[in-house]
Amino acid sequence: MYSSVEPPATPTDKPGPSSVSEVSQLIQGLLKSDPQLANVSIIGEVSGHSQPASGHSYFSLRDREASLRCVMFRYGRGHQYLEDGALVVCEGSAGIYAPRGDLQIIVTSAEPAGVGDQQAQLEELKRKLRAEGLFDSSRKRTIPQFPQRIAVITSEQGAVWHDIANVVRRRYPLMELLLVPSAVQGELAPVSIIEAFADLHAYAETEAVDAVIVARGGGSVEDLMPYNDEMVARTIFASRIPVISAVGHETDFTIADDVADLRAPTPSAAAELVSPDITGLTFETADFAQRLMRGLSGRVTLARQRLELTHDRLAENAPDTQRFRDRVDELKARAQESWSRYITIKREGMKRVEAELRALGPHNILERGYAMVRGTDGRVISSATNIKPKENLELTFADGTVEAEAKAVSTNN
Amino acid sequence: MTDSEQSQPEPPASFEDAFTRLESVVRRLESGQMSLDQSTALFEEGMQLAKICTELLNGAELKIQRLQQGLAEQLNLVSDE
Repeated sequence: MYSSVEPPATPTDKPGPSSVSEVSQLIQGLLKSDPQLANVSIIGEVSGHSQPASGHSYFSLRDREASLRCVMFRYGRGHQYLEDGALVVCEGSAGIYAPRGDLQIIVTSAEPAGVGDQQAQLEELKRKLRAEGLFDSSRKRTIPQFPQRIAVITSEQGAVWHDIANVVRRRYPLMELLLVPSAVQGELAPVSIIEAFADLHAYAETEAVDAVIVARGGGSVEDLMPYNDEMVARTIFASRIPVISAVGHETDFTIADDVADLRAPTPSAAAELVSPDITGLTFETADFAQRLMRGLSGRVTLARQRLELTHDRLAENAPDTQRFRDRVDELKARAQESWSRYITIKREGMKRVEAELRALGPHNILERGYAMVRGTDGRVISSATNIKPKENLELTFADGTVEAEAKAVSTNN
Repeated sequence: MTDSEQSQPEPPASFEDAFTRLESVVRRLESGQMSLDQSTALFEEGMQLAKICTELLNGAELKIQRLQQGLAEQLNLVSDE
């Protein structure tokens, strides 16, 4: 109110001198308000680097013509790249260090120059290949459940090939492993991998190959680069044999992973993916044999019940005359006789295959801690309903037998 | 009831073949739709398949082969470097 009635100060009025702090703050404000300087990315060579106990890094970034003072506080990212002479890219903002009036860049992160370029190139390649459909999930093929031959493209030396062979030997030794040697790092690796694919396809002209694992152990980003190669990606894409990629550790991702039909987190995991577990298959086979036994004995019981029913009906419906009674007796006897002949034949057949079943050897199963129950007549009992209380039983373990008595019987239904 | 296999079935070509056939034999036997004769035949075929599967599983030994390098070149599938 009061000021509104005062005449405005004339522009020609000279203001009093500003303090050093005021001018410093004025410049600071200018720097902070400039959108380019508040968030700047600078490429330059590191010089005069020091990192005292505080953990902050002090250094200069320079090129031929200029130099800038920089500081990166302890919590900044990439202290390890700040070595004298290193070419780095720093992100940060410009400011004034007031106590000395120095212009300085407050760096929040640093990384080696070139890495950013490489990453950008990789992303560009990925974008291109994705657009061409190389990563399409619709073209991913499935790996056969019981493969007969699996190829492995990897180094002949080193642990990877041995790890894969060991896993397959343990889980599913029914198949064949085909090693196709290739280099797995260095400039020549992409060509070597592509040649291995060509060799494999030449072999597959005449022999069946169910899938191919492209494998490599863990390594630096640089080591894994062959698996980011464009030609390697196109070779995997063109493969007529389904491809499983298994490059590096679980946390490593390469373009080969994107193109392959299946990505395995590690080479050993790839070996597990292609091999069904032999232990499970042995159990399943034994279970099938048990079900065959149960299926047949159920069918025989049904036939016996039907025959008994026919007997009864025959007896009920017989007219009360001696002639018919004799005829019924005769029919009964003949039916009885032919039935027992039939059953004898079937029994013998069953005995023979039962002997074969025993030869299949439950020993493997018993070794795993199972026990087999037999009645006093030596027959295997697989159901609680077939056991009467107080009945004597024989328990067979892998290493011996135990005489036992059923204390009580309870069934599930 | 008419699809009983009187003729001797072909021996299985591989573990996969034997195992999947065993599975289907068990299913058919358990369906209870078969005559006694058919059931017995299925049972015997199944036991034979179970035996083959077990023998294959017990006797398997991993085969390893190393592909010779330059196979593709020899077969003129790729041009010289």
